[in-house]
Amino acid sequence: MKLIFLPIILITGILAAPVRLHGQESTGNPFAQAKFVPDISLILDSSFVIRDLDDEWFTSLWLPGFSHAGTEDRAAELNETNVEKGFNLNYAELSLASVVDPYFDLFAVFHLSNEGFAIEEAYFTTRRLPAGLQVRGGKFLSQFGRVNGQHAHYWDFASAPLIQSAFFGGGGMGELGARLSWVAPLDVYLQLAVEVLQGDNGMSFGRGGFELPGVSVDDVQAPGLVIATAKSSFDAGNLTVLAGLSNASGRARLSPDLEDKNSTMAFAGTSKVFGADLTLKYLFDSVRYLSLQTEVMSRSTRGDRYDLDAVDGWLGREQRGRQAGMYTQVVARLTKRLRLGARLDLIWKNDVRCAGIRQDLPENLARYTAMGEWNPTEFSRLRLQYTFDRSRHAQVYGIWQREPVHELALQVNITIGAHGAHAF
Amino acid sequence: MNTRKLIVILAAFVLALPLLATKLQVVTTYPYIAGLVEHVGGERVTVHALAGGQWDPHTIMAKPSFIAKLRRADLLVINGAQLEIGWLPPLLSQANNPKVNVGSRGMMDLSRSVKLIDVPDSVSRAHGDIHPDGNPHYYLDPHNMLPLAEAIAAKLCELDGPGSTIYRKNLSDFQSKWKAKLAEWEKRLAGLKDALVIEYHKNYDYLLRRYGLRLLGTVELLPGIPPTSKHIQELEGKITESKVRFILQDIYNSDEASRHLAAKHGVPMIKLPHDVGAVREAEGVFSMFDEIVRRLTHE
Repeated sequence: MKLIFLPIILITGILAAPVRLHGQESTGNPFAQAKFVPDISLILDSSFVIRDLDDEWFTSLWLPGFSHAGTEDRAAELNETNVEKGFNLNYAELSLASVVDPYFDLFAVFHLSNEGFAIEEAYFTTRRLPAGLQVRGGKFLSQFGRVNGQHAHYWDFASAPLIQSAFFGGGGMGELGARLSWVAPLDVYLQLAVEVLQGDNGMSFGRGGFELPGVSVDDVQAPGLVIATAKSSFDAGNLTVLAGLSNASGRARLSPDLEDKNSTMAFAGTSKVFGADLTLKYLFDSVRYLSLQTEVMSRSTRGDRYDLDAVDGWLGREQRGRQAGMYTQVVARLTKRLRLGARLDLIWKNDVRCAGIRQDLPENLARYTAMGEWNPTEFSRLRLQYTFDRSRHAQVYGIWQREPVHELALQVNITIGAHGAHAF
Repeated sequence: MNTRKLIVILAAFVLALPLLATKLQVVTTYPYIAGLVEHVGGERVTVHALAGGQWDPHTIMAKPSFIAKLRRADLLVINGAQLEIGWLPPLLSQANNPKVNVGSRGMMDLSRSVKLIDVPDSVSRAHGDIHPDGNPHYYLDPHNMLPLAEAIAAKLCELDGPGSTIYRKNLSDFQSKWKAKLAEWEKRLAGLKDALVIEYHKNYDYLLRRYGLRLLGTVELLPGIPPTSKHIQELEGKITESKVRFILQDIYNSDEASRHLAAKHGVPMIKLPHDVGAVREAEGVFSMFDEIVRRLTHE
């Protein structure tokens, strides 16, 4: 009896199997998540650089008085891109963004390069706060000034403004922290924001304490940096005006590397950076525009400076610094594909006093930049940029000497994936 | 006694202040949407269009002043079909207004109310700046204005229940006027049936399809990619083979290639408004289509 059932079961099984398979194919994977994949894009930033100095000499040049001359690769702090002569892979930027749930959005931007993997930004923003408020938390670019909040591929030039690099480094001020922003319920755009940040930016701030013979400086308790910004904008016909004020106030530390005999300076104190920015953009039609953008920044530092003297060892003195600079740029979009621009960078004030005595530091650090861009589409860009840099100095027998640099860079930016929208 | 009275009056006044601002604040991305909202919303709403009708709708400059407008909006009405993808998303995320965020009741995508044409089977930017959801210029078929107005009315009723009767009445007024116009335009454009046309960008496909005009090709090489000389040569070959009635040119792209073709082959080039405000005569949704019909029929 049982033997009769066996073939029947087998036959029904064989007949049913294709039906079941077919059924599975038509409904697809019941656990498929493809529709929840975040917006993904990859941006390549690559360049070819011609420069009249060799790489080793170029990377040893510095802006005197602007950071704490350690022995680390100085140009790596000033420039993050287009550093080497010849070909550069500046980065491949991977960005992910998505709505999280009704309450949050998440953004992450990673830089992949030959040096490794860097988290440029990884932050959430709120979606549901009332009264025009929004909180952002995680690692993000500070919205200090005009350029700092923009990723490098949004810049109008292949390099960051000089004063921005001098105060915050070539990569700008991107830190761990939180931001509270408020948009005023007015006809005119007014946004006020406060950022509380960890304060690790080594160019103007820093947290690490140090031990010197007879001196002990504690770590700064985080968060060590507070930034406040106000931005406002209005339109007058086809002219748009955007202006901003920014203030960063934090604790500063420079720890010496005691293993390294060239590391001869330490600093512990406070640092304040103030910035004002103005952008005027006039639209002639859907394609052509002319924009003028300028930022002025000043920094005051105050604290105790320790220098290693060959005879007396570490000597501590009070240091006060006042430094200021600006840039002005004009960019014209002439056709859908062609943009031209020129920028003047100038650091005019470099007043650093130790125990009341003014240090012999060069002023009038200038840089001249011109660029031409060819954008086949909004997803690809070729940029040719010429830079005449009269800001960098070399220390020769203890005296700062200006070292002019001529540089020609051909930069390529290519984007795939999600459509990036252009901020103003 | 007097002071007490004064306090009561003042308190009543202060409490009544929000009531003065009960008008629904509507922001739209493009002017034609603002036109529709004005017809349906009437006095109960205030409408502001972010983009000007004279600009290329694909590449609107994302001005910070737009953020201020979005910040105070109760309702945001967009064209959708990814026409705003290049400029609206960052503005919206900076406006800090939960009412109009994506997924909120106050964010309305009009493209959901019409059937889109030219939905690509496969999507690649090798084919230019294509729209994966289909051609987003659906509002240039005047028949589509009816479902759009209906959808807007339904949304206004949802957000502002007390105004429902007014919105429904405004809608039916609009519908009857629009239907009369549709009949008029139909009649005036009847003579253009089967006419061959060339357009610069695929802006007017819905209009052409509605009135039976046939598209021979586009002046631009691919969506968003300007013409090459080889492409123009090919187009000239097509023009000499068949009788082209006219070349349609929008007001924001360069008309150099279209003018060249028009002059060389004796085919008239017609500049058509693509939105309210694109040309002086297109003051509202009615006059925009009146003007389109006028320009098409009075070559």
